[in-house]
Amino acid sequence: MKQLPRILSTLCAAGLLVTSASAANWTEGMKAGKADVKSVSQLAFGPEGILFIADSKSAAVFALDTGDKKATPAATLKVEAINGKIAAMLGTSADQITITDMAVNPISHNAYIAVARGRSASAAPVIIRVDKSGKLEAVSLDKMKFSKAVLPDAPVDGVVGEGNRKSNPRMESITDIAFLEDRVLIAGLSNEEFSSSLRAIPFPFKTVANGTSVEIYHGAHGRFETRSPVRTFVPFKVGNEPQLLAAYTCTPLVQFPMKDLAPGAKIKGKTVAELGNRNRPLDMIVYQKDGKDYLLMANSSRGIMKISTDNIEGVESITAPVGGGGTKGLGYKTIDSWTGVEQLDRLDDKLALVVRRDENKVMTLESLPLP
Amino acid sequence: MLTGSFNRLAVALAAAGLFFGGQSLSLAQTDTPSVIWQKQAEQDVVLVKGLAAKATRWSEDQWRKAFKVSVESGDLTSSLSLPPMLGSYDIGETSVTFTPQFPLTPGLKYRATLQLQRLPDYPGKPALLSSTHTVPAMVVEPTTIVQAVYPSANVLPENLLKFYLHFSAPMSGGHIYSHIHLLNSDGQPVELPFLEIDEELWNPEMTRLTLFIDPGRIKREVKPLEDIGPALESGKSFTLVIDKEWRDGRGAPLKETFRKQFKVSPPDRSAPDPKKWAIKPAPAKTQKPLIVTFPKPMDHALAQRLMWVTDADKKHIAGDVTLSDAEKRWEFTPNQAWQPGRYLLNVQNTIEDLSGNNIGKPFEVDLFEKVEKRISSETLSFPFEVK
Repeated sequence: MKQLPRILSTLCAAGLLVTSASAANWTEGMKAGKADVKSVSQLAFGPEGILFIADSKSAAVFALDTGDKKATPAATLKVEAINGKIAAMLGTSADQITITDMAVNPISHNAYIAVARGRSASAAPVIIRVDKSGKLEAVSLDKMKFSKAVLPDAPVDGVVGEGNRKSNPRMESITDIAFLEDRVLIAGLSNEEFSSSLRAIPFPFKTVANGTSVEIYHGAHGRFETRSPVRTFVPFKVGNEPQLLAAYTCTPLVQFPMKDLAPGAKIKGKTVAELGNRNRPLDMIVYQKDGKDYLLMANSSRGIMKISTDNIEGVESITAPVGGGGTKGLGYKTIDSWTGVEQLDRLDDKLALVVRRDENKVMTLESLPLP
Repeated sequence: MLTGSFNRLAVALAAAGLFFGGQSLSLAQTDTPSVIWQKQAEQDVVLVKGLAAKATRWSEDQWRKAFKVSVESGDLTSSLSLPPMLGSYDIGETSVTFTPQFPLTPGLKYRATLQLQRLPDYPGKPALLSSTHTVPAMVVEPTTIVQAVYPSANVLPENLLKFYLHFSAPMSGGHIYSHIHLLNSDGQPVELPFLEIDEELWNPEMTRLTLFIDPGRIKREVKPLEDIGPALESGKSFTLVIDKEWRDGRGAPLKETFRKQFKVSPPDRSAPDPKKWAIKPAPAKTQKPLIVTFPKPMDHALAQRLMWVTDADKKHIAGDVTLSDAEKRWEFTPNQAWQPGRYLLNVQNTIEDLSGNNIGKPFEVDLFEKVEKRISSETLSFPFEVK
């Protein structure tokens, strides 16, 4: 659910950014038909209304040409009881659906919500589009043009199918996905090995097979390199240098340059903040306000953190323990009024779009001014 | 089974200011269409019949506006404010059939509504007709249990990385962590001991859940551990509790609450060393197992997946693996009797012990001075002979 940083997306929208990427035919290799999506774990928009769908069950990423590319300005939005409304469309009750992600189309400013209908292994994936008037509509996966990239299985899987085991219980959950320039970035978490995998797949997908995918691992926070998985990440730029900010499940926030991502490379990132206990990152967006750069992070402690990234270049890597409840690195503050945020994306330069859940499990889709 | 009933919607019509047909469908007359729930090919569908004109006179879009099916949400006003259900419209000469996109949910009531005045120039009497259908709730006996929890040992290291919960039948997901508790020896819950992620790390069949201990509470020099300490503490006892309220894939609760008590030993930060493993081959011409014993327990899933047997030419030997003795004993029973000769026990070096240490590389490595440039994933092979 990531968008390009503001300046980049503004330039793209205005057609001012002529790069090799914009000259590319983004729908190259796509075919119309039924996209066999088995689950929708994460969503992210690419160029020209192309929606990337991370499907953990299929261990694949789909690129869907939504055709939703009529530029319209964003507007404030509030849809109350969105989980009840989606459940009604799907002919079931709110407790039988799970909202797994939400992404804003940066061109049309329509919101796309990923839903699992049902809670068993046979749960059906659904994508709902919410327009600016708050109208809900199901996005058909049956007829659109799409392409698919199957993820290479990260660890060598020596025996499955041949030797000991008849079925492979190993799965990799895709925990975040983003598009930057001409690559789809995918963070995953295995249900067996405790490893971090961050992959970059060139887009358009050159072949359906895994041949073009690259596989990237990285590690390092402070003194100890460990295999903690990346929970969520966001691309951004420092100067002209594309960077990634990645939040780990064990709470450090790590920065590293995109250019370091190369097949099989091991990258030592720079720990720029330690977020501390109870802060379990869910989603991040970057934005500018009053000429300064910020990162907004939703986390499971039901608050939201605003982190100033203005001085990210000047921050020294945290290499020693931050004890006694203190903090080091980038400064941040918790915005208490944004309670229950479970999904977060940027609507435009001034607004964020969130899905919030109240104590009665009622969810609201609403725009909030960027803090 | 159909439990359809026909209602007059006085309240809704008054509220919506709609023209009221005034016909009860149980007394259907020739000029009043009927709305009928039916089962077709194991699926609940709704039909409109008895129209005063051919159904094909109106487009699918017009039918979508006039004929809607929705979940009954208690009161009619709120039902009408909800979006209609997704489904397909099959428009024939004499009838229209709505097939819901998804199977109906047991225990819920559905309402099909036909507003004839929304069909432009409908020649018959304009009326609002509706029919409800309740899908019987499924009565399911609680039969599913927690079959096993790995690691199975009752002494676990302080830096234990994960549990695998094995269920006897497929489970349901979504907000599962409220059903899983770690209690200290006083019976008090440990605060946020697990890595709670919405993705929920199931196997494809949803019979096994992987439960990671919050890595922030295991790793040295990260803030959660510095601030509030480890989830598990050496020398103390804990109980892992799985509530029986957790529903299985059919919607039934578990048969019983599950408890696993264990003691905690000091953290293990040493890499497993296969040189210390004992390999005991089986006699030739038998199907007895090859037995490998580890000095310390290994990860249940990885020891099954990342260890295998080949012949000297690296050809796979088919068979079954079992783990026992608290995952310290690995047994491989071949599908066919062992032939005399040389074999290889193959181990991928990413195999882990209970604390996530893998071969040649503990979970935490001091890399302050140097960073390896490449990831290495390799297979180690240990020869043995069957006589």
